[in-house]
Amino acid sequence: MRLALLLLGALVLAFVAAPLFIVVPMSFSTAVSLEFPPPGWWTGYYTAYFNDARWTTPTLNSLGIALAVSVLTVLLVTPATFALVRHRFAGKGVVNLLMMLPLAVPHIVMAIGYYAFLADVRLLQTFPGIILAHTALSVPMAFLVLSANLKGFDRTLERAALSLGASPAATFRHVTLPVLWPGFAAAALFAFVQSFDETVVALFISGRDTETLPRRMFDSIRTQADPVIAVVSTLLFLAVAALVIVPVLWRALSRRRSEARP
Amino acid sequence: MSATTAAAGGGSLRPWLLLAPLLVFLAAFFLVPLAQVAVMSVSDPEWGLEHYVAIATDGFHLRVLLDTFITALTVSLCCLVLGFPLAYAMAAAPQGLAAAMMVVVTMSFWTSFLVRTYAWMVLLGNRGPIARFVEWMGFASPELLFTRFSSTVAMTHILLPYMVLSLYGVLKRIEPALPRSAASLGATPAGVIRHVVLPLAAPGIANGLTLVFVLCLGFYVTPILIGSPREQMVAGVIGQQVEEFLAFGEASAMAMLLLASTLVILGLYHRRFGLDRLWG
Amino acid sequence: MTKPYLELRNLSKSYDGRSRALDGVNLTAGKGEFITFLGPSGSGKTTTLMLIAGFEGATEGEILVDGTSITRVPPHKRGIGIVFQNYALFPHRTALQNILFPLQMRKMPKAQATEKARHMLALVGLERFADRHPREMSGGQQQRVALARALVFDPALLLLDEPLGALDKNLRESLQIEIKRIQRSLGVTTIFVTHDQSEAMAMSDRIVIFEGGRIQQAGTPLEIYDRPVNDFVARFVGDSNLLPICLTDPAAGTGEIAGIGPVRIPAQPGRRAGEAATLLLRPEVLGLAAEGAPNTCRLAVETVVHFGDSALVLGDVGGTPLRARLPGLAAQGISEGSEVALSWNPAAGHLIPAA
Repeated sequence: MRLALLLLGALVLAFVAAPLFIVVPMSFSTAVSLEFPPPGWWTGYYTAYFNDARWTTPTLNSLGIALAVSVLTVLLVTPATFALVRHRFAGKGVVNLLMMLPLAVPHIVMAIGYYAFLADVRLLQTFPGIILAHTALSVPMAFLVLSANLKGFDRTLERAALSLGASPAATFRHVTLPVLWPGFAAAALFAFVQSFDETVVALFISGRDTETLPRRMFDSIRTQADPVIAVVSTLLFLAVAALVIVPVLWRALSRRRSEARP
Repeated sequence: MSATTAAAGGGSLRPWLLLAPLLVFLAAFFLVPLAQVAVMSVSDPEWGLEHYVAIATDGFHLRVLLDTFITALTVSLCCLVLGFPLAYAMAAAPQGLAAAMMVVVTMSFWTSFLVRTYAWMVLLGNRGPIARFVEWMGFASPELLFTRFSSTVAMTHILLPYMVLSLYGVLKRIEPALPRSAASLGATPAGVIRHVVLPLAAPGIANGLTLVFVLCLGFYVTPILIGSPREQMVAGVIGQQVEEFLAFGEASAMAMLLLASTLVILGLYHRRFGLDRLWG
Repeated sequence: MTKPYLELRNLSKSYDGRSRALDGVNLTAGKGEFITFLGPSGSGKTTTLMLIAGFEGATEGEILVDGTSITRVPPHKRGIGIVFQNYALFPHRTALQNILFPLQMRKMPKAQATEKARHMLALVGLERFADRHPREMSGGQQQRVALARALVFDPALLLLDEPLGALDKNLRESLQIEIKRIQRSLGVTTIFVTHDQSEAMAMSDRIVIFEGGRIQQAGTPLEIYDRPVNDFVARFVGDSNLLPICLTDPAAGTGEIAGIGPVRIPAQPGRRAGEAATLLLRPEVLGLAAEGAPNTCRLAVETVVHFGDSALVLGDVGGTPLRARLPGLAAQGISEGSEVALSWNPAAGHLIPAA
């Protein structure tokens, strides 16, 4: 029974992994349409991707939008998280639910809402419009990440700093912020990725000049016109792989380093 | 003195000052657009409940809703059936192996829906590995893509990491002595899983099912790209109403129904387990 | 005692406005004194420490250091060094940077600050660990860094909040000696909070016993051990037999204990005959009775626990449970179920008046 479960688990792991890795050989394929195994190999589609403004512009658009979203999200969510984690006040539960709500509403619902709303305020198909919408959608995850970090923060560190002569402001700057730094980075990263990957809302509210990468990919897959999609997929997959593997390796290495010390 | 007298209590203005920027932002750029959907559902093109009446009576919309629920249920159960052995293996594996498995799952989790959808187009395409294998065996190449099957498989794959991470969270916390002591008390291996592991994992199962079901209900990208054009899901129909017919009222009414279904399910979860644990 | 350096005047603290976590605490400490707050959890010892540090505001009362009230001074201006239970070292700073922190906050020139911090690091014996981060150090090393950090800015007071609780026994004992040595060499007035009575006995000039938000007794370790003022202190510090006694002739020093009979005790001038009280007998004052010795009783032995150098003999005397700690050799012949004659020196009994 146990062995069967473990065996099944290994099979499922293959099911999880295989589709991720298949995009890599596809990107080096000479095939014009979807074909696997590839009929031949080349790197022509990589050259095509990097030289085609129809791909590079949306990529840069998405990077810029995601960067703005991650900064804006952290700036908005940080004070709110301190309020919710460190203070008791009437109405806290409602505020908490409101902050989580963007995660509960299906994106297609918000897509229509943003389409109508941004048209009304004349921000449809503009960068600010996309940034504002993506920021709202990024709030819950950033809040979850940051509040988990803040709850795990040992407040005696702040008391220690005060007892050592640091003013409340200096305590925040020299102790609270540096210790919570990984939490801010993680929250910003979540916001960045959520914006960079967000497809549905962007399909409805981005325009020709503000096209995002997911929108471009969506159109490309839908029309099956462009094999460059395999290149984009591979690059995105490799970026994710680096993002996931690097911290794991870094942790393993630093553990070994500290163990090596006497 | 901020850091020292934080838990001052009810009358304090300080938390509200800290919350103000975000609350104003969410009100303006989240609640207002959301409210606009509700308003459009009863006001576009003219005021009235006609869209809701139409949805309830014309058969097509109810059919779509039902199809969507069935698909979401299928995907959720598939995720559970596949996710449990994987999470179980991860929890049982030695540390290094478990970390490697975790890397694969989180990689899938973070990879764009579009990339994973594209991968399934390759896998299930009529010149893909599965079709070729079937042909090599001497059978006629099956039509896999653009069917309910292809979108169900892809959505299962895409949502599986949510289930696995939920289950792993609870399975990892089960005290290793518990299954051992159950075995020492005479439980068979199957009995250990049925009477000890599964009940202790129940919150994680509920968590995973809720997450997957809710995400699947509102799924737009994957069903549109590789699903059957004849058997659409709610989100796809909503998008189509807006994109092709500019029928904002009808789309909004459908959107409100989708939102309501989602909130009802999340509300049920909230009453039983507390919503803040869902995405923990 | 020298003139008071630290003074707590009628200090009270209530968190909810009704019940009092701290209720009218008065205490003075001389310059350079090492005072231990001892008590069970929730007794008010940590609350008192938090009030002195300034992390909590007093509901009533005053705190004075060197004659000046600091009651309303914010914590970062009090200049009080604190070592926390979990050390509270800043994880993003090395050992040296942790010790530099208070000097940086005081805007001390860099060269001077570094020299001072290094000197402090040497004092706690960690020169070689200057560039390590806290997570790369053992618990005992972190403890020393925390101590150095709390002392480097010449604090008016040093507060230690159960700083040894997380360490194992051997390390704890060596650190007790070390803390005491450093404290003496710097002459800093120190308050040490613990619930470990042997730690309190080993380190303190004076011990203050807390219970129920009040000070039960303050005195030298030997005063606390030999002459506890009430049952709680007697029970909380050391092992004890508390026997109900009826005074027959207090001035002459006689009384009667149910199950034992008439006994001799230290003379109690000023008490009335017939008064009820409690007699404290530490288990180690009981010994095997010599022929004709006063204060003899016959113990029906139930259990003997051997520790090697000594043994604990448990039993009862006429229905009253009694425990005696005998030298290991003396206890060898005693078997469970037998009966032994025990006696104690009348001067070794301590009378606790009824509350």
